[in-house]
Amino acid sequence: MKWRLWGTLAAAAFVLPGILLAQPEVTFEQYTLENGLTVILHEDRSAPLASIMMMYHVGSKNETKGRTGFAHLFEHVMFQGSQHVKKEEHFKLLQAVGANVNGSTSQDRTNYFENLPSNGLELAIYLESDRMGFLLPAVTQEKLDNQRDVVKNERRQSYENVPYGLSYETIGKALYPENHPYSWPVIGSMADLSAASLDDVKGFFATYYAPNNACVVIAGDMNPAQVKTWIAKYFGPIPRGKAFDRPQPQEITLPADKRLVLEDRVQLPRLYFAWPSARGNTRTDAVRDVMTDILSVGKNSRLYKSLVYEKQIAQSVSAGQDGSEIAGELTITVTAKPGKTLTEIEAAVQQVVDDMLKNGVTEKEVQTSLNQKEARLVNMRATVFGKTNALATYHTLTGNAGNINKELERFKGITPAEILADARQAFAQHKVVLSIVPQGKTDLAAQPPASK
Amino acid sequence: MTRFRMLLFIFLVGSVALLPSAQAQGTIDRTLRPKLGPTPEIRLPNIQKAELPNGLRVWLVESHKVPIVACNLVLFAGSERDPLATPGMASMTAAMIQEGTATRTSLQIADEIDALGAMINVYSQTDYAGASLNCLTKHLDVALAVYADIFTHPTFPEKEFARVKNDRLTSLLQQKDRPTTIASMAFGKILYGNGHPYGNDVAGTEQSIKGLTRDDLARFYQTYYRPNNGTLIVVGDATMATMLPRVTIAFADWKKADVPAAGTFAAPSIETRKIYLVDKPGAAQSEIRIGYPALARTTPDFFPVNLMNTILGGQFSSRLNSNIRERRGFSYGVRSAFQFTKLPGPFVASGGVQTAKTDSALQEFLREIDLMREKGLTVEELEFAKNRTNGTFATSFETPAQIANALVNVVVYKLPDDYFVNYLKNVDAVTLTDVQRITKQYLDSSKMAVVVVGDMKVIRPGIERMQFGPIVVADVNGNLVGN
Repeated sequence: MKWRLWGTLAAAAFVLPGILLAQPEVTFEQYTLENGLTVILHEDRSAPLASIMMMYHVGSKNETKGRTGFAHLFEHVMFQGSQHVKKEEHFKLLQAVGANVNGSTSQDRTNYFENLPSNGLELAIYLESDRMGFLLPAVTQEKLDNQRDVVKNERRQSYENVPYGLSYETIGKALYPENHPYSWPVIGSMADLSAASLDDVKGFFATYYAPNNACVVIAGDMNPAQVKTWIAKYFGPIPRGKAFDRPQPQEITLPADKRLVLEDRVQLPRLYFAWPSARGNTRTDAVRDVMTDILSVGKNSRLYKSLVYEKQIAQSVSAGQDGSEIAGELTITVTAKPGKTLTEIEAAVQQVVDDMLKNGVTEKEVQTSLNQKEARLVNMRATVFGKTNALATYHTLTGNAGNINKELERFKGITPAEILADARQAFAQHKVVLSIVPQGKTDLAAQPPASK
Repeated sequence: MTRFRMLLFIFLVGSVALLPSAQAQGTIDRTLRPKLGPTPEIRLPNIQKAELPNGLRVWLVESHKVPIVACNLVLFAGSERDPLATPGMASMTAAMIQEGTATRTSLQIADEIDALGAMINVYSQTDYAGASLNCLTKHLDVALAVYADIFTHPTFPEKEFARVKNDRLTSLLQQKDRPTTIASMAFGKILYGNGHPYGNDVAGTEQSIKGLTRDDLARFYQTYYRPNNGTLIVVGDATMATMLPRVTIAFADWKKADVPAAGTFAAPSIETRKIYLVDKPGAAQSEIRIGYPALARTTPDFFPVNLMNTILGGQFSSRLNSNIRERRGFSYGVRSAFQFTKLPGPFVASGGVQTAKTDSALQEFLREIDLMREKGLTVEELEFAKNRTNGTFATSFETPAQIANALVNVVVYKLPDDYFVNYLKNVDAVTLTDVQRITKQYLDSSKMAVVVVGDMKVIRPGIERMQFGPIVVADVNGNLVGN
């Protein structure tokens, strides 16, 4: 059936006769424990490996003002041991099996995963369950203070000591209204990190780290019946948590363009554009994803070809549609060549966008983007981690893990006409324009165009 | 593995009945840790080998679970071949092979590959250079034609050269923004100096890149980009029977020629520890690099050294990270590594630490290195390191690209054919005595260079007080500028 679905697209393919966008099918089993924990299992015995991922439906957008960065700080605390697991032991036990262990926090969700030889699977399930059910008895002021220091160093290392490192939080603050959950950065502010207390840890854990706000996804070499007994044994006794209010979709608009200038310890000026855009997993999200590929992926993409390849006024360009759970952003970022001003860069970007809005995009450009998505998808599904991550993310953010098998369907039938119509809407929105310039060189910042 | 599955099968029979009671029961003894199953057997890649008439070696590993083919053509054309006065020649040559061939322009090469959703990634390292290709099986013929073309018929067009050169010069300028890059480059220069290829950055310097001509690169290509100087690694949804004829045709125009031998260079030895400070005013963190020119990939001590380093700084639970991050909170993460290369590569302990804790962090780095040298590992630590290494080995052959990367090492460092087969045996054979010997031999911190990139006026007084060694000030390129 899927084959026929894509038959029309294949007929339009220009590169080779017979190109089909083929979605690799991932079969899985899903059920829910009495306490509300969603379990998703995908058996793949092609290698003696397994991947386990816990995904909690909580991220920085669930934070309150004055406690920004807390969801991520909490993620760090989750690695500090639980009632039956001593400090440093969580990592040590898993490292000894050869596991690749990590966790990550976004605006919308927090995940914890282990990729390991399949003989360590029961151990990983046990450790994940212990910190879901028995974290608090092991949390101390000393552990919180230690991880607060580590996270502050993460902020220094990944944002403050990195060129252009403060762009992300500057744009977020300008693009979203003051109390919008996406207006603050996931890493949080130093002051808020300092203010986080043990009571915050307890409250956050009780609200968001309950089984009914999480899923456990396991893919790889396993006997599903055996794995189910382990999950029942270790996760089953953990009590369900109370319901809580989730932030609702809050798509945004700007009343007027906002133009900002930031000085940084950098050699080259860089220009950022950000438009309010569509939420993730929507049709508009898919259409803009293709449109931004056409603008910036590959040497022949429009912005790259014009600014980097032909005019050689820019060192790099990127464009992206970033659709999150309750809002989205469309961004273009351009780093200028030495001696070029961001005013010149802005004019050149505008010219490329205007040309697209006037003449549209081509069938070939759309097909190139779709072929790239197909290849990327096949590569992402080649690892057990790629599969647990996709299943967990689709379950958490769309409520349907089955969307893993509809990834390419999202792009079905996208035409140049649809992209053109949508691009006109997207770029008609007011935007944030941020110039980051070398210290003392504010004259390199983008000056507003005289008239429009 | 078979036994493991049988055991599971027995559980499976009873599991349906057990499920509700386990949930209802509510209490289990959580102090009892689950036991690990038996270590699973790893199916190792079986390497098939062939050689084309022009001398290009072809290594192929079949893996049909996903419709992907990963290729990697690796040549002995890395920066070790750069004339010492013009670093960057090898990497610029590699960058230029995809910028135009006899029948394809730069934009056409990109267009053909992008349209397939395929990826060609051109790279160059100290010891080797080349390009990888990743594509869906159904696009292999078209992608292979372009991939072979860039190796066999590059034309080094003047116009593209001017653009790529300008791009490289701008990148070199941007490197000055990143303390991590500054630290690594200064460390290389300080360890190896001007008379050794490892002292130069693979990307070259502003001066050397400015002086390069299109003809320099064409000559470098003519000399080193020869089929008999390379190996094509093919991993994935392909067989030797179908690949060999295709590859033979695709690379038919590439002619063999004698390739000059690589030079041999010795790194200067470090007599006493010095502290090299590179000023980065206002930096929120200090980037630390501690080490010396240590071991080549051919060292017979590869296995004991790696096991020891697993405990010193090779993974999250290492002594260095546990101390400096998990106990003291000075850093987001620190580590150590022996970089095994063709000529002896550096040992390096590294990390970014909070500016105010720079001297204390340095003290802990040196304390851990010295403690390891003096006392070595415990029985438990060696056991842990072996288990960790075995487990990591098991997870390192999952995708075609991972397998291809593993084979690059076998090719470049001429490892034995049975290297992967004997890997676990070699790990297992390492004794505590071996480890105690190599820590004495390879971890003398009094003969290491310490490089710190940070806010000098803030960090210098503390470092002076600690008396780690004489202080030398270096610029962002690693050149010494005074005390």
